Amino acid sequence: MAKIVVLEGITQKFGEFVALEEVSLHVEQGQLHAVVGENGAGKTTLMRILYGALSPTQGTLTVRGETKTYRSSRGAIADRIGMVSQHYAIIPQLTCLQNLMLGAEHGAILNLQDAEAKAESLAQRMGFKFNWGAKADTLGPAGAQKLEILKLLWREAEILILDEPTAMLCPADADALFVSLRRLADEGATVILVTHRLPEVTEHCQEVTVLRGGKLIAHHKVSDVTRPELAELIVGRALTEFPPRQLPATEAILSVQDATILGDRGDDAVKGATFQVRRGELVGLAGVDGNGQQELFHALMGVRQFQRGGASLDGQDLLSLSTRERIAAGVRLIAEDRHAEAVIEEWSLEENAVLGFQRLQQFESSGGLNLAYVHERASSFIQRFNTKCTSPAQSIGSLSGGNQQRFVAARALAEQPKLVLAFQPTRGLDIDATRAVYQGIREACAEGAGALVVSFDLDELLEFCDRIVVLNCGLMSSASSMDRTEIGQLMVGAS
Amino acid sequence: MKGVSLAWRLGALIVGSIVLVVAALMATQAPVGEVVQRLLLDSFSGPTSFSETLKRFCPYVIAGVAVFWALRAGLFNIGVEGQFLIGGMVGIAVSLPIGGFGGILLGALAGSVAGMLWAIPAGWIKAYRGGHEVISTIMLNQIAILLTSHLVAGPLMDKNAGFPTTASLAPTSMLGGIPFGPVTVSWAILIAMVVVGVFSWWLRRTVSGFELSVTGANPTAAQFAGIEVKRTVFQAMAWSGAVAGFGGALQAVAFEGRFFEGFSSGYGFDALGVAILAGGNPLAILPSAFAFAVLGQGATAVQLNGVPKGISSVILALLIAVFAAFRYAKVRPIHD
Repeated sequence: MAKIVVLEGITQKFGEFVALEEVSLHVEQGQLHAVVGENGAGKTTLMRILYGALSPTQGTLTVRGETKTYRSSRGAIADRIGMVSQHYAIIPQLTCLQNLMLGAEHGAILNLQDAEAKAESLAQRMGFKFNWGAKADTLGPAGAQKLEILKLLWREAEILILDEPTAMLCPADADALFVSLRRLADEGATVILVTHRLPEVTEHCQEVTVLRGGKLIAHHKVSDVTRPELAELIVGRALTEFPPRQLPATEAILSVQDATILGDRGDDAVKGATFQVRRGELVGLAGVDGNGQQELFHALMGVRQFQRGGASLDGQDLLSLSTRERIAAGVRLIAEDRHAEAVIEEWSLEENAVLGFQRLQQFESSGGLNLAYVHERASSFIQRFNTKCTSPAQSIGSLSGGNQQRFVAARALAEQPKLVLAFQPTRGLDIDATRAVYQGIREACAEGAGALVVSFDLDELLEFCDRIVVLNCGLMSSASSMDRTEIGQLMVGAS
Repeated sequence: MKGVSLAWRLGALIVGSIVLVVAALMATQAPVGEVVQRLLLDSFSGPTSFSETLKRFCPYVIAGVAVFWALRAGLFNIGVEGQFLIGGMVGIAVSLPIGGFGGILLGALAGSVAGMLWAIPAGWIKAYRGGHEVISTIMLNQIAILLTSHLVAGPLMDKNAGFPTTASLAPTSMLGGIPFGPVTVSWAILIAMVVVGVFSWWLRRTVSGFELSVTGANPTAAQFAGIEVKRTVFQAMAWSGAVAGFGGALQAVAFEGRFFEGFSSGYGFDALGVAILAGGNPLAILPSAFAFAVLGQGATAVQLNGVPKGISSVILALLIAVFAAFRYAKVRPIHD
């Protein structure tokens, strides 16, 4: 097969910072080629170079055998290269058809009938269905992703770069997306896929390039490498296993009956949910974003009301407690929106270490805050998951997102938690830190807590949790086993 | 590289401010050197001037604490002026008939309570009804100004005086001071400093002070940290009013000895500047209030040179602008 894209000896510096060093990428036509690596490994930077959005400090770029120097992405588009970034560029007020054509109208006068016919034939080729006259804000995440791909095809792209395309999709939609991508590749297109989900690589791709710390680590045929080997290449060393555990039957630490919670849009975000989290148990809450997870967590924390139903914590009525009393009783939240809900960015790590714990006895001494204890706590939160900082007096906002998350996760696991509510606890964390955080949650569980963890990455939940419950449109269901297909169906209400 | 350009920008700001002040003075055709000297040094030029400066310093400090308190909870208490007036009037009304030390004590207490009551509507509307405190406190200021001038021109007026004022406290019923040669430093100055010290300790070291600061910095995070945000906001406004009212009563029993129309020369409004200039540090209220007092006194002096009194406002405004630029200047990191 012909090499359609060859990047050779690519080095990219931003000031002193070296984002990529002597990296090469060889992509064959008609394949799904995965580019994997941790946050900051340089995947997106490499893709932006191929797309012409960055000019590399050093190195050559060859497309279809010709050496290229792109001044902007316009040159790449002319060479039929297209890219969908992690953040969709869809304008919700425009119709799907207008979004499709935007910036790539054929001629000065719009012929909408012809355009729609052409759009429809593109969609049919991919097996997509669109209501072209509908506003784009009616699209879900899967529809938006499909529209973004059609936008590339509309521009006659033959080399498609997709950056984390399945991050927002439920398993069924993700699988459907790969079927379409496979079809495209069979017709001669080439797909370069940036992802951190290894099952996608081993199940759908033919080749894989691994980056770590801006360097090329490996380039393999997918058939030559196993998933654990791939994980090891990405992290740089062997990872500890998280084998499924056999838990002794214990009593419920959190028991929720028939919970109905009003959402911000005025309808019930959670509808009659009944479930339990037992002592020592790590329960995963699967579901597509926006199906009631946030409202449930907020209501359990006491910042949102239950419309109906009840909840008890270790036999005690939870709903009669204020947020302060819930914290004192051992309820901990790793918040979804860290910036708004969990930290004060301008304040030091020490001051943020107190947040939420300020009324606990151990933080007080003779009417004031116990500063020695605060300092000791802050230092231990920093150490727990290796938060990189200069000192506890540094402001938390000056840390990277991943380091802030490490600190916040450590705080939520401190001071004898009884119930850990973790909303995407590993967002922005690399593989190492992700495992450390789940290990930390497991340790808290081993000491008698229970944990409920929301993640939009089903594979993450399958790997680390003991049991999985699913929220779909506010309805709670319980998975009978850790079966990916079954849970995927529950996530879209198709059981 | 970014750091250098930042220093340049801030340096340019300072030079620009000085040029602006000099240009403003030249526009009034005043002798620039002499005016600047008077502006900065007149406050220290003699016992009378210095006593006047201290008399301004005291209310600036206490009203500054009042503004700072609310500001820390995320509230702009524009109503300090009104609370100060009400506190001053009630303070005199209570201490006049009682007299002596008891009069001073009860007057100060009554003034504080009155100031708190005057702030409570704004605090309640803000916390439980979502009405903006700036609007409600401005309206309460109008009511306070008109109410106090009505009362000193009517029921509380000293019938022997030819203008709207209450009767005066006997010198023995006023708060004394410690004589330093020709200048007597009122106990009120000491009290004001203690107020700042205690407030600073409370804010930095106690749990309730911490919760107040969290509420002001990020109310949503405060809610998730188990803080009763509405109650904290309400209480902050009430205490801010109490401090302002205390400041008014103290001014009455320590310096003025009576309440009259024009009792406050805008102390409550200037206190917004005092608190903002102090930045994040409550102890900095002291130097900040001193700068306001010195420039305020100096501005009175330079009127003799035909320079409008407003020049001190120009200088203070520039001072605040330069300070804010330093405080909020950030070098954005290039990488996450």
